[in-house]
Amino acid sequence: MNEILTQEKSIYLQISDMIKNDILRDIIREEERVPSTNEFAKLYAINPATAAKGVNILVEEGVLYKKRGIGMFVATGAKEKIMNQRKEEFYDNFIKSLLNEANNLGITKEELVAMINKEEK
Amino acid sequence: MGNELVCKNLYKSYKKTEVLKGLDLQLEKGKIYGLIGRNGAGKTTLLSLMAGQNPVTSGEITLDGQKVWENQEMMDRICFSRELNPTTNFSISELKVKEYLKMASIYMPNWDKEFAEELLKTFELDANKKLNKLSKGMLSMVTITVALASKAEFTFMDEPVAGVDVVMREQFYRILLDEFAESGRTFVISTHIIEEAADVFEEVIMLDKGKILLKENAVELLDRARHVSGVAEAVDKVMEGRETYRPEKLGRSKGVTVLLKQGETLESDTEISVQPMSLQQVFVAMCGKEVS
Repeated sequence: MNEILTQEKSIYLQISDMIKNDILRDIIREEERVPSTNEFAKLYAINPATAAKGVNILVEEGVLYKKRGIGMFVATGAKEKIMNQRKEEFYDNFIKSLLNEANNLGITKEELVAMINKEEK
Repeated sequence: MGNELVCKNLYKSYKKTEVLKGLDLQLEKGKIYGLIGRNGAGKTTLLSLMAGQNPVTSGEITLDGQKVWENQEMMDRICFSRELNPTTNFSISELKVKEYLKMASIYMPNWDKEFAEELLKTFELDANKKLNKLSKGMLSMVTITVALASKAEFTFMDEPVAGVDVVMREQFYRILLDEFAESGRTFVISTHIIEEAADVFEEVIMLDKGKILLKENAVELLDRARHVSGVAEAVDKVMEGRETYRPEKLGRSKGVTVLLKQGETLESDTEISVQPMSLQQVFVAMCGKEVS
């Protein structure tokens, strides 16, 4: 929740990404309350409606749920859900552009695999 | 060396208020400097001192090694176009725009009359209007006209775009860059509209509480300014031994601003996010209040 907002992407998408990152990093855990839209609005100096839009995406995805009169909470299983979602996006976001740029530079698949194998952590 | 404006250990007080507190600064020729600082940081005082319009309490200001104060030859090379305020400055409030320009030109040996007229046209200013009939933005454009038409080697502008609409601001930056490219004059420009001027500045001077907090090439500064956030312990670990600015804590999460060393890199990983920052964000982190 301490990341800064940039110009590159819609603010509400950045808000929802930020909450997801925090869930992945165990900064906010399952069944814990997330900041209210008004708290987000104050923290980032943005309109509460924009903050609400970011939070509502996560409600629709089942990552957050609303407890009437108390606030928004992280759903059980949310972390796994985000992980699966990111895995699905991984192909589109990373592999495709990786292959594209490799193609532009004339890097063969074999060379690519060799590079990945070299980068062992 | 030599071709420079140098401030050494400047102190300036107005009665009991100490505005500048031991300030050192060196301006090289042929650059556009951005002077940024919060209200009351001492920007206007510094500019008026450097222009020789205001005596220092202690310290020294030299241009090419010669004292500026009461030195006509040096002062002729410097123009400080002050903010105009006809409501507090009655001596000028009844003047027409053209009379004010005429008056300003007397002090400016390199005054370019044609350029001044051209600027009035560009800014859509009526030369026959009295200053006290102009809006805040129009008054700013008069001060811009004086500054640019002065053709002074060193030109200081104090919030030239205050109250000016965005179309004219864009216009101003373009004319400024044009004039700079043609003449290689040195400009020092103070502003609160940091983001849009960031690309115009070659060097940024941050003034905080009467001292120079930072003076650095704008691009290099942004190359090494990073916002680091994520799991609090992980952030603390990466930041160990570094000077950090404006920490924000929220539960298990933490964010700080840091200036990396020249050429150093820091990447996001599973526990921390490392983000580039805008000049405005760096300024707020370094000169702003702690977040509560």
